[in-house]
Amino acid sequence: MSAIDIHGVAHRFGDLQALAGVDLSIAQGEFFSLLGPSGCGKTTLLNIIAGFLAPSAGTVVVGGRDVTSLPPHRRDIGMVFQSYALFPHLNVFDNVAYGLRVRKAKGEDVRARVAEMLELVRLSELAQRMPHQLSGGQQQRVAIARALAIRPQVLLLDEPLSNLDAKLRKEMQTELRRLLGNVGVTTVMVTHDQEEALGLSDRIGILGAGRLQQVGTPLELYRRPVNRFVGEFVGHANLIQARANGSGIFEAAAHFSRKGVPLQLASSHAAGGDALFLLRPERIRLSASSTDAQQTNPANPANSVAGVVRDASYTGAELHVTVTLPGGGELVVEAPEANFAEVPRVGAPVQLAWNADDLAVLPAESKGARI
Amino acid sequence: MRFPVSLTLSRVSTSGNSLFSWLLLAPGMLFLAAFLVVPGILLIVLSLHDVDGMLMVLPTYSFSHYIEAFTSAGYIRALGTTLWVAALTAVLCVLLAYPAAWLLVSTRSRAWRTVLYVILISPLLTSVVIRTFAWIVLLAQNGLINDVLRRLGLIDAPLALLWNMKAVIVAYVQVMLPFAVLPLATSLGEIPAALPRASQSLGAGAHHTFLHVVLPLTIPGMMSGAIIVFALAAGSYVTPLLIGGRLQPLLPIGIYQQALQIANLPLAAALSLTLLVVTAAIAGLMSYVQKRWERRVYGH
Repeated sequence: MSAIDIHGVAHRFGDLQALAGVDLSIAQGEFFSLLGPSGCGKTTLLNIIAGFLAPSAGTVVVGGRDVTSLPPHRRDIGMVFQSYALFPHLNVFDNVAYGLRVRKAKGEDVRARVAEMLELVRLSELAQRMPHQLSGGQQQRVAIARALAIRPQVLLLDEPLSNLDAKLRKEMQTELRRLLGNVGVTTVMVTHDQEEALGLSDRIGILGAGRLQQVGTPLELYRRPVNRFVGEFVGHANLIQARANGSGIFEAAAHFSRKGVPLQLASSHAAGGDALFLLRPERIRLSASSTDAQQTNPANPANSVAGVVRDASYTGAELHVTVTLPGGGELVVEAPEANFAEVPRVGAPVQLAWNADDLAVLPAESKGARI
Repeated sequence: MRFPVSLTLSRVSTSGNSLFSWLLLAPGMLFLAAFLVVPGILLIVLSLHDVDGMLMVLPTYSFSHYIEAFTSAGYIRALGTTLWVAALTAVLCVLLAYPAAWLLVSTRSRAWRTVLYVILISPLLTSVVIRTFAWIVLLAQNGLINDVLRRLGLIDAPLALLWNMKAVIVAYVQVMLPFAVLPLATSLGEIPAALPRASQSLGAGAHHTFLHVVLPLTIPGMMSGAIIVFALAAGSYVTPLLIGGRLQPLLPIGIYQQALQIANLPLAAALSLTLLVVTAAIAGLMSYVQKRWERRVYGH
């Protein structure tokens, strides 16, 4: 039985269609992320699951029970808010105990459960602190302990890591995985940060313009995006529109290896007709080219092209290089910094190449939902 | 005021800023000195002068008026009644302010909120005397309320609505309500929407959420309102004089009589200072409790 079933959920804010018919099933114990840009409807969907918003249409079933018309406090859903929403007038212990006391649990049971939760989030020694005396990361752990203390059927996380600085975010990501792995509670996280979603989730639903664009494992979404939106949103992408020339080779529409000569592509994923190719920047091999190398190249080999560095940025682990093709068009390359003796200079000639297997195919522009 | 002003200025210029900020403050400081500090000192000095049998002020000093104030059962009772009435007014105002503040905060439309604010502060736009006479028109033996009740056949003889402490408290509450509503509305408006939601997600219904989250977080707003109302009510004399009558055992009425009818100015000064110090001490204590609470919750 699935933990959450969402059938045809739609929501309007006045004239704005925030959600347009979402169907989704989340398995027991699964860590599911709703990923999308701001305004895509992901927070609306989370609020509908939590009960803070009533959907204009559709039903929400949690643990086999239709909760669509139940108020939030009768849904048995734990929630961690973006701002953590700790009660500022209660200390850590009383914050975690809040939901248990609402349920009229006995004093000793409350103490035992709170102690257990604080141990889980490793904050036992801070039980008497007030929220304002805690760091952001500690506040967040209290918020998680408070939500888990009531043994909810489902845990909702609203942008849980967005208020933390970069280093802490990485740590909390590991911590979240450990915590929720221990508890095994079904979790739905809303985020706009793909790294967070890819790193934590069993499955991810990509939301765009109020619709679920694709649902899949992180690997499926990255390697086999079903449309341009997903391809562009998850990871970085070179998108190349091309048309088959009849001999198994595709000719790019806006990328030229020389003036007037379209870039030649050979993909092991496409047969013929029009195709929109997705080429991940890290799949492109970049090498410094001498003028001889260019001369010795065959006339127009598929999946390889010479170009000139337009921009190179060094991020520490990687190098991001934007290469302008001589006939027009650009390709972005990402490579481990260890591959380079030095950062390529702007204007330096380079040689790019990739494998036929790396050219994933998206539905052609005309058919794909343009978002 | 001096502290934040000089802080702001020190960011703008580093030289001569303290002189400049003092110049900016000078008009306000001079005004306060001329009309608050100097009269206050004169009042203290006056309260220590002896008087002769004809109530003429003598050049000798003693604590005789304070001794009279603190040994006369009448004045002690008047002080007690004054504080009690002021406290009751403060409590009633805060209780009545809650629904009004709630309405103000939950009104989304800016236009409606402006209308509500205007209605709220409208009692403050009329003079205290006119407002008080309006209450007399309403509450008198042949006033509006008695008239209506009699015509409806609900009463045979007119009710004694005027000239008692209940009428005084009703009139106090009416005019002082805005002072309780405004800080409470601020306090309510500052509660992040996520807090009641967090309470709900933990299983608490609206009632539990109000009692355990909203109400505690508005303690500072309730305290601010209560302090202002208490201080205003404790020092008011026009309303009790006109609505309660001059026989009500309230200290401001006693001070009024000593100053303007009996003309024992030193005794009036001593009674005024006594009321001022006691009221300030109670308001200070309430303020301290409020600050303690804020420090505990917000750390500053």
